[in-house]
Amino acid sequence: MDFFEEYKGYPNYEKAAIHDEAHGKPVRKKLWMVFWIMLIITIGELIIGSQFNFTEINKEYTFIFLTLVKAFFIVWVFMHLGDERRAMKYAIIAPYTLFIFYLAFMAITEGVYSKVIRDALVTVVLHQ
Amino acid sequence: MSNQATLSLRKDWDGGVSPFGVSYGKLFMWFFLVSDALTFSSLLCAYGFMRHKFAGDWAVPNKVFTHFPFVEGSHPLAYVGFMTFDLIMSSVTMVLAVEAGHRLNRKQVSVWLLLTIIGGLIFVGSQCWEWYHFIVGEESVQGYRDYLMNGKHIINPHFQGANLIVNAYTQLPTFGDFFFCITGFHGFHVFSGVIINIVMLIMVLNGVMDRRGHYEMIEKAGLYWHFVDLVWVFVFTFFYLL
Repeated sequence: MDFFEEYKGYPNYEKAAIHDEAHGKPVRKKLWMVFWIMLIITIGELIIGSQFNFTEINKEYTFIFLTLVKAFFIVWVFMHLGDERRAMKYAIIAPYTLFIFYLAFMAITEGVYSKVIRDALVTVVLHQ
Repeated sequence: MSNQATLSLRKDWDGGVSPFGVSYGKLFMWFFLVSDALTFSSLLCAYGFMRHKFAGDWAVPNKVFTHFPFVEGSHPLAYVGFMTFDLIMSSVTMVLAVEAGHRLNRKQVSVWLLLTIIGGLIFVGSQCWEWYHFIVGEESVQGYRDYLMNGKHIINPHFQGANLIVNAYTQLPTFGDFFFCITGFHGFHVFSGVIINIVMLIMVLNGVMDRRGHYEMIEKAGLYWHFVDLVWVFVFTFFYLL
C-alpha cells in the first residue's frame, strides 16, 4: 500500500509515538493541567483588560508577556514540539524568531518615527 | 569541538531516512506552518506599524466590541473571551484525539474529533455574529440596507458600524481594514481546519487509520488546528486587549 513499506529497513517514524494505556495517563494529566493554566491566564487577561487601570505601557508589556507564555504552551505541549529532537526545535523556532523579532522591531520603530513626522507636518500646516 | 560532540550533533540532526527522525508528512506540516506563521506575523507587524503611526487616534477595543448574544447592554470583551475559551477548549479536545490516536483507540479518537469540529463550528459562527455586529453597529438592519442602497454612509455624520471605507469608532478607515483582513484571514483558517477535521473524522470512521496501523494523520491535522489556536492567541491580544 505504502511506498515505504516496500523499503526494507525503513524506520517506522509514524509508529514511534504509539503508547499503551498506562503511558497515556500522565500525558493526559499534563494536557489538562496546561489547559487550566491557559484558562487562568486568559481570564486574567480579560480582567486586566476590562477592569484595572494600569499605566498604558505596563498593560502592553503584561499582555505581550502573557501571550508569549500561552504561545509557548501551545507550541511546546499541544503541538508536541517539546518532545521532538533539539535539532528540530532549532530548525522550526530559530529562523522564525530571528525574522519576526527583527520585523516587529523595524515596523514599530518606523511607526513611532512616522507619528513624529506626521505630528510635525500637521503642526506646520496648522500654523501657516 | 571534540569528536564526540560532533558525533552527537550529527546524530541529533540525522534521522536515518528522514531528517530529525520525524516522518516526511509531519516535518513538512511543520515547515508549512512556519511559512503560514510568517504570513500572519507580517500582517500583525503591519498592524503594529499603523497602530503606532496613528497612536491616539486609534479606536479603543473596549468601546467597540461590547455586544453579547441575547443580552442587552454593554459587556466589553465578554463575547471575545468566550470565543477564546472555545478555541482553547477545542485545542484541548484535538490534542486528546491525538493522544487517543497514539493508543490506537478508534472510538475515543472519533469522539474527541467530533467535539473539536463542534468547537470549530461554534467559533466560526461566533465570528460571523461578531462581524455582523461590527458591520451594522447599533443600527437596525433596515438602516444598514439604506446605507448600502443610497451610499449615504460617507456623508452621514451619525454613521454606525463599520466597513472598509468608513467606521463609526475612529476617523481612520485602516482600523476596519485591518480588522476585516486579519480576523477574516484567521477565520478562513479556522474554516479550512474544520473541513480538514471533518475529512479526518470520515477517514477514522471508515477505518483508514486502522488499516495503516497508525493515527499520524490525526497528529498532522492537529498541528494545523493548534496553529489556528496559536494565531488566535495573538490576534486576541493585539486586536481586542491592547
